[in-house]
Amino acid sequence: MAAVSYKPYFSAGLKEWIFTTDHKKIGIMYGVTSLLFFLIAGLSALAIRMELYQPGLQYMSEDAYNQALTVHGVLMQFWWAVGIWSSFGNYLLPLMIGARDVAFPRLNALSYWLFFAASVLALLTFLPGSQIRMMWTGYPPFSLNDNAGPVAFYALIIHLLGASSLAGAVNLVVTNLTMRAPGVTMKKMNLFLHSFLAMNVIQILGVPALAGAVTMLLMDKYFQTAFFDPARGGDPLLYQNLFWFYSHPVVYVMILPAFGVISEIIATFSRRELFGRTSMIVAIWGIAILGFMVWVHHMFTSGMPDWIRILFSYTTVLIGVPTGIKIFNWIFTLYKGSIRFTTPMLYTLSAIFMFLIGGLTGIPLGLPAFDIAVHDSHFVVAHFHYVLGMALTLAAFGGFHYWYPKFTGRMYSELWAKIALVLIMIGSNLFYFLQFIVGLEGMPRRYADYPAIDSWVRLHELQTIGAMILGAGVAIAVMNLLLSTKLGKKAEENPWQSPSLEWLVPSPPPPHNFDKTPHMPEDWDPYNYEWLEKQHKRQ
Amino acid sequence: MKEILAYPANYWQTIYEIWLFISVVIYLVVFLPAVYFLVKYRYRKGVNERAQLVKESKALEVLWTIIPTIVVIYLATHSFAFYKVQRTAPEGALEIKVTAFMWGWEFEYPNGKKVYSFFNSVVDPEKNVYLQPEQVNDMFKAYIPEDTPVKVLCTSRDVIHSFYVHPAKVMEDCVPGRITHMWFQINEPGDYWAFCREYCGTQHSKMAAVLKVVPKQEFENWLQQGVQTSQEDNKQTL
Repeated sequence: MAAVSYKPYFSAGLKEWIFTTDHKKIGIMYGVTSLLFFLIAGLSALAIRMELYQPGLQYMSEDAYNQALTVHGVLMQFWWAVGIWSSFGNYLLPLMIGARDVAFPRLNALSYWLFFAASVLALLTFLPGSQIRMMWTGYPPFSLNDNAGPVAFYALIIHLLGASSLAGAVNLVVTNLTMRAPGVTMKKMNLFLHSFLAMNVIQILGVPALAGAVTMLLMDKYFQTAFFDPARGGDPLLYQNLFWFYSHPVVYVMILPAFGVISEIIATFSRRELFGRTSMIVAIWGIAILGFMVWVHHMFTSGMPDWIRILFSYTTVLIGVPTGIKIFNWIFTLYKGSIRFTTPMLYTLSAIFMFLIGGLTGIPLGLPAFDIAVHDSHFVVAHFHYVLGMALTLAAFGGFHYWYPKFTGRMYSELWAKIALVLIMIGSNLFYFLQFIVGLEGMPRRYADYPAIDSWVRLHELQTIGAMILGAGVAIAVMNLLLSTKLGKKAEENPWQSPSLEWLVPSPPPPHNFDKTPHMPEDWDPYNYEWLEKQHKRQ
Repeated sequence: MKEILAYPANYWQTIYEIWLFISVVIYLVVFLPAVYFLVKYRYRKGVNERAQLVKESKALEVLWTIIPTIVVIYLATHSFAFYKVQRTAPEGALEIKVTAFMWGWEFEYPNGKKVYSFFNSVVDPEKNVYLQPEQVNDMFKAYIPEDTPVKVLCTSRDVIHSFYVHPAKVMEDCVPGRITHMWFQINEPGDYWAFCREYCGTQHSKMAAVLKVVPKQEFENWLQQGVQTSQEDNKQTL
């Protein structure tokens, strides 16, 4: 579309990067921060796995283990599973709708720097005396106990992240609703955009509940209020309700964008519009709305009245229906397609099949009769690692590879990307599938040590081996992405031949994205691959 | 060995098997067509270079909305029926009060007898590793009569803990300021683990107790040993 060539958006000095309001640079900064914390959290996971290799404590004390587990949980949830989508959203959303930037570029910069401030605080918790050992949930009254570490750190981190998320969410929602180029109608929006819209609405509705909960926690600890401390007349379950009112919907904040990425990639490489596109959008919103009605399943053994547990078990399992619709539609998108097995497609297909396992093992956790035995066991841990550790992470890496030519103007090494995928799939299935089994056998979660029950010991040994293979796979994938920015071949402008708007500008895009506002014709659609072919013929 | 080691674990086992069956079927229903499509509709030069037009199929979409809805509602209802049993202790159950603390358990029996189990009473003090349940000193074990339903009333002295009876496959949080309940029955004498399942700090992973299941008569004898309630004192002096 642009005939004149510009310098790419990323050739800028350090000062320009720091003070930038360009959505693409901010997106890259989000991505780098997120990936860095993903690696820190990954290393702490490997430390945890080493400790669990054998019963007894070999490498670390209980306190060090508990800190590693807290770090792993908090960083993976907030920096990786939520944070990485800020990167994708910032970079791609304006490009996909044909805008030059987000609606409020300065607010966008503020969002990133609040995220950065939270990152600095998170790193400070590694200092002696500042370690937090209360898990990412931070349940009172334990979190009010000195054994938990400084709660203030945690509360401030959540506040900074919350402010960052809220500002970012408002920004992207407004951008999406008001700045779409002519011709990019609601009906012709990419599925990626629909899932980001729903995800940001969840953020706006949910974050205040968590912010309130940690504020009350902070006041209980330092200002002698008594919201949660039963010794002073408070109720610890109040915290759990507030916490999960946000923290359950947040899993859809994490997974909906992954669905968006999966939808983009699977359509592009099947060369056809998504099957049941309308029902996909309905399913996204169904998940977003139902997501707010299921939080009590995290509290099925907490002492809540039994009838509430039953009520929430129905709402919980019903969420499987819209999720199922999405999976069926993806599979039927393959039907009569012309499927290209490129690297992003392989990552995406893996993500779908792993998500299916994660989803199917989520259903019994919504059944109190089943949950009563596996709540807070390794079964739960395995379930959300199939969803977040695998489906989400594979979708994110699929996204990295898919938009890599867009981000960097270069191609990654196909061979290493595929080797990495094979290692990730072998390692994580060995790891997480056996985690299901040890969970079914009763292994409680958050245990630094465990009794030497024969089958548990064997299962833990194999899991640790799986985790090491997984770690090697991730390391290779990340190295490939990093090194290819220098060593990779120059990429074509539109290597996947997608008519989606972000591919109609040069790769990497110029700083201002579009020379002039694109007017998309009637017959254009982000999934109309024939339109693109016709364009080529006309040229 | 008796057919059923513990209640209400048998209910869990049934719902587990139903779920596993349904899940495997669903996985295959999705996976096999997907693999078929992936092979059949792969890109081939000159053969399958472009996608074919596919009409939306409302019937198909309705089908895969309604069938999953029926399946999950069935599962939830089956679970509802089981859960009532899993949560309601049979009449005449032995009532034990369990009080959790950082880090250990207090078991109080109806006649006032108390047993304490601490995190270091299940551990080899020199190596700091778990003992086998049989190796734990009997004075730290909570005795449980065989073939008898036991109702647990649970609370906590400090932070939230959770009482999980390993063979019976039940758990319930022990929340300070509240009394929660659960029940179980073990049908085979032996030593069994009970674990804390809610994170509670440094020694969370050692916060286990051993339940020693013994024949009813042996339990009665044990229960009377070393109990000095004031009533009994009065009786003896009279």
